Amino acid sequence: MKTILYSIPLLFLLGSCNLTKDVEIDLPVYETQPVVECYLEPGKPFRLLLTRSYPFFSDLNLDSNFIENTLYDGAEVKISFNGETEILENILSFDPSPLKIFNYTGTRVVPATPGIQYTLEITLPDGSQINGQTVMMTPVPIDSIKVEWSETNDTLARMLTYITDDRGTENYYRRLLNYASLDSFPEQDFLVTDRFSTTELFAFGTGYELLEGDTVFNTICHIEKPYYDYVESVQLAVAGNGNPFAQPSPIKSNVQGSANPLGIFTSLVYDRDTTIIQR
Amino acid sequence: MSFNLRTRLIVLGLLLAGLIQAQETVNISGRMLDAESGESLIGATVEAVGLGKGNISNEYGFYSFSLPVQNDSVQLRFSYIGYESQLLSMLPTENVKLDIRLYPAGNVIQEVVIKANTLEEKMNSTQMSVSTITTKEIKEIPALFGETDVIKILQLKPGITPGAEGTTGLFVRGGNSDQNLIVLDEAVVYNANHLFGFFSTFNSDAVKDLKVYKGGFPAQYGGRLSSVIDVRMKEGNNQKFTGSGGLGLISSRLTLEGPIQKDKSSFIVSGRRTYADLITSAINRANEGKADYNQIPDYYFYDLNTKVNFTLSEKDRLYLSGYFGRDVFDFKDETFNFLFDWGNATGTARWNHVFGPRLFMNTTFTYSDYRYRIRNVLQGFSFNLGSNVMDANTKVDFYYQYNNEHTIRFGANATYHAFDVARLKAGSDDGRINFESGQDFNGMEYGIYFADEWSVNQRLKLNYGARISGWQNNPAFYAGFEPRFAANYSMNKNWSLKASYTRMNQYVHLLASSGLSLPTDIWYPSTEGVKPEISDQVAIGTSVLIKDNILVTWEAWYKWMDNQVDFIDGAEIFGNNELEGELAIGKGRAYSPLELEIEKQNGRLTGWIGYTLAWVKRGDFVEINEGTYYPPRFDTRHNLSVVAMYKLSPRWQLTGTWVYTSGYASWLPVGRYTLNDVPGAPFQAVVPVYGNRNSFRYPAYMRADLGIVYKFKTRHLENDLTLSVYNVTDRRNPYFIYIDTEFETLSTPTGTVEQPKAIVGKQVSLFPILPSITWNFKF
Repeated sequence: MKTILYSIPLLFLLGSCNLTKDVEIDLPVYETQPVVECYLEPGKPFRLLLTRSYPFFSDLNLDSNFIENTLYDGAEVKISFNGETEILENILSFDPSPLKIFNYTGTRVVPATPGIQYTLEITLPDGSQINGQTVMMTPVPIDSIKVEWSETNDTLARMLTYITDDRGTENYYRRLLNYASLDSFPEQDFLVTDRFSTTELFAFGTGYELLEGDTVFNTICHIEKPYYDYVESVQLAVAGNGNPFAQPSPIKSNVQGSANPLGIFTSLVYDRDTTIIQR
Repeated sequence: MSFNLRTRLIVLGLLLAGLIQAQETVNISGRMLDAESGESLIGATVEAVGLGKGNISNEYGFYSFSLPVQNDSVQLRFSYIGYESQLLSMLPTENVKLDIRLYPAGNVIQEVVIKANTLEEKMNSTQMSVSTITTKEIKEIPALFGETDVIKILQLKPGITPGAEGTTGLFVRGGNSDQNLIVLDEAVVYNANHLFGFFSTFNSDAVKDLKVYKGGFPAQYGGRLSSVIDVRMKEGNNQKFTGSGGLGLISSRLTLEGPIQKDKSSFIVSGRRTYADLITSAINRANEGKADYNQIPDYYFYDLNTKVNFTLSEKDRLYLSGYFGRDVFDFKDETFNFLFDWGNATGTARWNHVFGPRLFMNTTFTYSDYRYRIRNVLQGFSFNLGSNVMDANTKVDFYYQYNNEHTIRFGANATYHAFDVARLKAGSDDGRINFESGQDFNGMEYGIYFADEWSVNQRLKLNYGARISGWQNNPAFYAGFEPRFAANYSMNKNWSLKASYTRMNQYVHLLASSGLSLPTDIWYPSTEGVKPEISDQVAIGTSVLIKDNILVTWEAWYKWMDNQVDFIDGAEIFGNNELEGELAIGKGRAYSPLELEIEKQNGRLTGWIGYTLAWVKRGDFVEINEGTYYPPRFDTRHNLSVVAMYKLSPRWQLTGTWVYTSGYASWLPVGRYTLNDVPGAPFQAVVPVYGNRNSFRYPAYMRADLGIVYKFKTRHLENDLTLSVYNVTDRRNPYFIYIDTEFETLSTPTGTVEQPKAIVGKQVSLFPILPSITWNFKF
């Protein structure tokens, strides 16, 4: 909703005259921070991406040293749960589809048991620490998918995705909708909470924009509050840089420690449906 | 309670002295009116020539003053800026009621040279930190798209910083935009903006008088910290039926006014509407059914002002006025059926009663309503979001001319506030899916006040008084004592020194998500958790009148603001029943050693130069910037404006404005990182990392506008054509600055990928040189 509202005045502004030029900007001094991204996905190995942030105008270094410059190597990474400790080795790995990169990987896979508490401990080469905690969320399955054809244009369809929410607890969801492939830019990527829902049923919809034969990837992530806050702050930070009507936000990380880190350590539990639109 | 003999004698002596004085003076009172339309003249001057006695008319044209009884005739001079002065001889032997009609000066250049009573009065008044905008200035100062706008003219006054280019945002002496009490015929206007702030809600054809107080607030005003903008609508011509209007690039206007019963009652109806939607609708219709065509949203706004007034008797007048305005944004396609509308409605009923030559009363009932609604309806589903604030206010004000030394004002008001905050309802038509949120609040705001304008002697005038305000929103109750004090000391005929102190309490707060005005900003009451905002302002100054025609005013001021309200970083505004959890409470400070205004009101060349050197800070917000002080967006160090109007001939007029504002503070990212994100979400090469708020400064803003007014008559109409050229030097001023990532496309064995190439700063400007022409007519 925020995005829509902030976009309306922006539409007027940009529609009136496009008068943009490059300018020199002298930003305040910024000290690089370590950035943690760790999503504990049941059935997938323990893996983590540890990178560095940069001053905004620093060189992008998109040469052969980019990965070396961006990745934060040489750290000791441990994830503890149920009295066990998983050591993540400093090994570069890729997930090909959708493309993701990690520089710390464990040997075991993440257990799917909901409710398990996980603790992250990272010691950087300079001795500074990063800590974080998360809990494995309970999956919320997609109940049903419904495809409806437009009454005014019978070549276009919309898709409705239903889930049943547990009214007994406050829940947070991230909805992702991709067309054609999971590597595509998502058509929808938003957060929702059940805080104000008076019913158990939730529906996520599309507009009448789908054609027969389209492939739709529906992903409903059941997420914890710190991850909800983190994603929201990332979205606001991106929106705030370029829209004068939007209020920017600092990144709301759930990792702390003497290393002054940014980032997120969270479980990643989702249900995904792949549908090919058919009449 | 008991009094000793000495005290009793003193009281008796004073009473007798008062009685003797009453027997030895006569009172002259009445109203000052426009002779052609019957409109009351606000702030017109009456003086007994050579006796140093006189007064100015109040908001209803009523005046009253005393003269010693004498057998020699005295000359009374009645004058008002833009009107021909009138001299009247009389023998002051008994109380007299004199209703005076002044004629507009007309278009003859020589006649416009009127004695500088207004400037003289301003110099001699205890009231400091005040600016008045005349209808002449409203009509002649060049405007964006030719749309004359009273609020944008206010932005040219010293001490007032505009929000952003082209918008009507007002930040007065370091105050937030919600700290301005904007009243239209005494009814509060909660959102004085159209089109996200690019135009104000005030149709200049319906406005009679506008006054802004930046400090030294009179005791009758309360409820906001930083300014009072008092807009008075025209009353309607009670002499003859007239009409006026105009055609511009953005909107058209039409105003009709006339007597209901000549000299006794009149009406005015004034409307304005934009017409861009008529064009966009036609384009949409022409392209209907085309597969690759994207609908253009329809947008329009409109205003309707109406007023009637009745002279019920020699002593009673009744005024009824109302305003209704809406912005409507409408968009329909296969995905959206979206309607977003917002606007104000106000109503005012006033009854003036003159109890006698010295006592005048005004009783007012006002109603104000501001709301926004967003509706999106899709087959089987709907989404509704809105907020609303409503006031019902009753007040009574007395104006008592005790004698020539004491003019007393006192009164009281009570306002019922109702708030419907962030009301959300969304779900399926069958009820199986439903989301609801929102909060309701009610509050009562009270105020009583007393103020005495005391002419201590020929040189010293004091205005002292107080307002006691209260707020009740169960279980919260707050009361505030608000002293008001102002002094004027005349060093000589052309030089005065001034000082003032005021305290203000504010019980309602605007929760704004950005530095710019949005219709979705939410009005929120004081509660147990959100305490009333409080400000204390001290100001000192001096005024020098040069050759009776140029007034130079210097003021220095300091303002302390407590219980300031702001959103925490990343606040959730919509669909949140616990908004107070998203708020941060802190302090504000603002000061200026130099706020300078040089005004010239008479002659061929009129206008003003304003300059302000000021600092503004916010801080002590535990959740923001770790409690440290930071500049708000509108903290601009230097503000300079030059406004000039030059009358070439009765037909031709040249106008120009030039403004310079040093850079606005801005919150830009200082760092960046890459985001892997989860499957289904793309890798992001640049996620901005924000540091401390507003640690970056925009480049300075500078703009020159020119206007040419040509007046001519046709058989039935008096016309003028106004050519406005906005930003005549075509300067690219910063509207906003952002940091952009430029990408390049690289070929890979499996296709192409977008790779970041460079990071650059981008400045977006809004308006290049913009000529526009407006035709105005009158019959």
